[in-house]
Amino acid sequence: MKRKWFKIIEKGVESVLFTSSLTTSITVILIVIFLFSEGIGLFFSKPIDKDSIIGISKQNTVSKLSSAQLNHIFNQDLTNWKAFGGKNDSIQLLSINNIGDYFAEEELGSSFENIPNKINEFVQKHPGAIVSFSKTYMPKQFAGKLLEINNVGVWEFLSGKLWYPTAQPVAQLGVLPLILGTVLVSLVAILMALPLSIACAIYLAEVANSKIRNILKPLIELLAGIPSVVYGFFGLIVIVPEVQRIFNLPVGETAFTGSIVLAIMALPTIITVAEDALRSVPRSTKEASLALGATHWQTIVRVCIPTAKSGIAAGIILGIGRAIGETMAVLMVTGNASTMPSLFAPARTIPATIAAELGEAPSGGLHFKALFALSIILFIITFGINLSVSYVKNKNKSN
Amino acid sequence: MKKVVSIVMSLVMAGAGVVNAQRVVCKIKGSDTCLPLIQKESETYQKKNAGSSIMVTGGGSGVGFAAILAGTTDIAMASRSMKMDEKLKMNEAGKAYTEKVIAKDALSVIVNPTNKIGQLTREQLEGIFTGKITNWKQVGGEDLAIVVYSRETSSGTYEFFKEHVLNKKNFGPKALLMPATGAIVQSVSQTKGAIGYVGLAYLEKTVKALKVSYDKGKTFVEPSVENAKNKTYPITRPLYFYYLKSSEKQVGSFVNYLLSAEGQSIVLKEGYIPLQ
Amino acid sequence: MASKKRIQQALAFGLFRIVSLIVVGILFSILFFITIRGIGVINWTFITAMPEDGMTAGGIFPAIVGTLCLMIGSMIFAFPVGVMSAVYLNEYMKDSWLKRFVSMMTDNLAGVPSIVFGLFGMALFVNKLGFGDSILAGSLTLGLLSLPVIIRTTEEALKTVDDSLRIGSYALGATKLQTIRRVVLPIAFPNIMTGLILSMSRVSGETAPILFTVAAYFLPKLPTGWHDQVMALPYHLYVLTTSGTNMEAARPMAYGTAFVLIVIVLLFNLLANIIRKHFGRKVKMN
Repeated sequence: MKRKWFKIIEKGVESVLFTSSLTTSITVILIVIFLFSEGIGLFFSKPIDKDSIIGISKQNTVSKLSSAQLNHIFNQDLTNWKAFGGKNDSIQLLSINNIGDYFAEEELGSSFENIPNKINEFVQKHPGAIVSFSKTYMPKQFAGKLLEINNVGVWEFLSGKLWYPTAQPVAQLGVLPLILGTVLVSLVAILMALPLSIACAIYLAEVANSKIRNILKPLIELLAGIPSVVYGFFGLIVIVPEVQRIFNLPVGETAFTGSIVLAIMALPTIITVAEDALRSVPRSTKEASLALGATHWQTIVRVCIPTAKSGIAAGIILGIGRAIGETMAVLMVTGNASTMPSLFAPARTIPATIAAELGEAPSGGLHFKALFALSIILFIITFGINLSVSYVKNKNKSN
Repeated sequence: MKKVVSIVMSLVMAGAGVVNAQRVVCKIKGSDTCLPLIQKESETYQKKNAGSSIMVTGGGSGVGFAAILAGTTDIAMASRSMKMDEKLKMNEAGKAYTEKVIAKDALSVIVNPTNKIGQLTREQLEGIFTGKITNWKQVGGEDLAIVVYSRETSSGTYEFFKEHVLNKKNFGPKALLMPATGAIVQSVSQTKGAIGYVGLAYLEKTVKALKVSYDKGKTFVEPSVENAKNKTYPITRPLYFYYLKSSEKQVGSFVNYLLSAEGQSIVLKEGYIPLQ
Repeated sequence: MASKKRIQQALAFGLFRIVSLIVVGILFSILFFITIRGIGVINWTFITAMPEDGMTAGGIFPAIVGTLCLMIGSMIFAFPVGVMSAVYLNEYMKDSWLKRFVSMMTDNLAGVPSIVFGLFGMALFVNKLGFGDSILAGSLTLGLLSLPVIIRTTEEALKTVDDSLRIGSYALGATKLQTIRRVVLPIAFPNIMTGLILSMSRVSGETAPILFTVAAYFLPKLPTGWHDQVMALPYHLYVLTTSGTNMEAARPMAYGTAFVLIVIVLLFNLLANIIRKHFGRKVKMN
């Protein structure tokens, strides 16, 4: 009897353990589902608010505009329909933001019930009118015609150079400066960290005596655990003014400053992994090289490093991954200007954008979806990096 | 093991010394501009009303509006009024709300103290912040590149500045977007060619406030409590509380405290403009 | 000929020694900078008082309490699930496409940026499951963040237990479960603890995952349950550095907060090292 009971408990425990082991896989799948369901929805929405409609006067010969053109109109950069192939009429804007300029609040009604009539009035009075309102407030019998706007296009999203997600009524969703900013800051950081960390790893693994190694290695591991806000804090207080002073820049918050902070943060990661890889080179291989007459240095360069190559590569890739995904330190020191980045000018990265803007995006709205689309990009980049680490590690195993 | 953990957890949460079973009564979220004022007001309010508890979070006026729409805050504090489309969203969601002006603020344009320029017209400000004017020498200053500091898009101050000073045009893409007002003050004080905008309460000796002209250069007025009160300073704005009509009972007491003589005296002390 | 090689080697090694000293020097100067300015701020009031006067006076007690709550809360979720996963992966699962898949998923989860965790935590725990901004949502999010690390270190710990001990246990008639409970786990326990402690240390410093799931700027009272919001040390440092009317006056508090964070990381690392040295065998973190 007892035996059977035990067996049932054992089976039960085993299934509980099995379920636990699936947690990480389920989490990754859930993350992918959540990110994609919200983010891909962006490309099925128009770059105006979900229920917004844009209408023009019936007499207007223009029937379709791109979001870039609409932006020119609503920014008042272009003020005549001629510029879009229409008649020589000056553009009259009416939207949620300026309806107060044309009609008093009493005229609109206590719960805005008069807005549809006022819209019709406006469109009939001005042949160059363009109106933008939520679906609920558009008149049932619209005295003008509806303007067709394209959905946010994938190419438009990825290659657009302006990021104004809250612009009314047409949001500008171009993430190229953000992607380039992220890549620039991270790559320069790794370029700076690489030589320093490889040199340090070689020193620790091969050159330093065990007393020094036993002190330094734990210290570097300790430094890997310092929170990123602390690095950001230090960066803001010390590095930003110093960069401004040393390079004589108009402003200290630049992509370069971000790279410096990220490089410092990536150093311990790359050093520990590379050092472990170098240490795992078999003694016999090293001793064979020395026996053949090579110096220690030659052994390192021609034997150890090539043997540990994949482990070192794994460390570098992990460092890149950490740099790309870093949020707080970058948010505090790069200035967050959403312009096409250059090294000594302010830049804006994807993680910083998400952290700064997510709070104000109403759940499910256009801005919300755009931020999820951004995080898809970030996720794909870091996922790709992780896959390459796995690939490199597996190549090592087969060696 | 688990028992130990849960005991430790409850001990930590019982609070070392402060055992108070009161749940948070009032959550306030929103404007970074209002944050120092509301935090101070809630400190003094809670000292007087021992059973109460008020929780304050910033993030920007936009965050407050998103929160009140989502139902995650009781009061949304804002340095701009609700945009039409936010009002329509609240209307569509069936949430009737009250809007109350609780104080006023003078929006100051600040530059680095070493900057020789002391005054600008609205048109010049528009050109600078939209990125059309890029060098101080174009407005009569030194040959120095202009570095524009702004708040993030979630900020009511950002929206207010865009609507009233930039006449609804977009900020230039090279503007540095700082996460909070304090960061703007910090950066402007450190950067020679910097220009930014902050609420009056954030002015410090480390930055210089510019005089502003809204009549194309005839009169320039500097930001101060008196000039805001007598309406000679053109960039003044009301600060708002928005709360659901159904939350009236819960938040009414604190709102009334803010509007009372004592509350308004704190407004003055903190560097904002009281309502009279 | 030989001397040329010698010179080359001496130069290279000398250069590397200098570089290493520079690297360690940079990292240490950051710590010293914050320590020197932060240690003067630390006194009993700082640690036990609520923040006052616009964060320029008083203390950071609620942030310390909040961070402790999040550390414990996240481990309540991550530790059991992580250890159980590692036990299953290492002791039960045979090498198959499923095992490789799960391993790969674990490694991938480890590489997900912390802001994506924050976004996911907000979408799932705060919005979809309706927990709202709470310790519950924050702990779950931080727990998921720590899960891969705990699984990895536990797996390594289990691997260092010699197989002969397991075989011996089976030979004596014990079942698999009994073997794990009474032989494998006790031996691997110190190394598993090391992983737990290092994860707690990491959780104490994470900001991005708690931005949208639990963090508050100012709380008047300490949290009393899973559904409350909390202040947290890293978020507190962030707001002290970027918000507030009187940044200069709040600066000492910021230094103090940064110092407390560094001390926490230091203490936990020290603890992990002591346990590792005295009780366990070396286990890698990554």
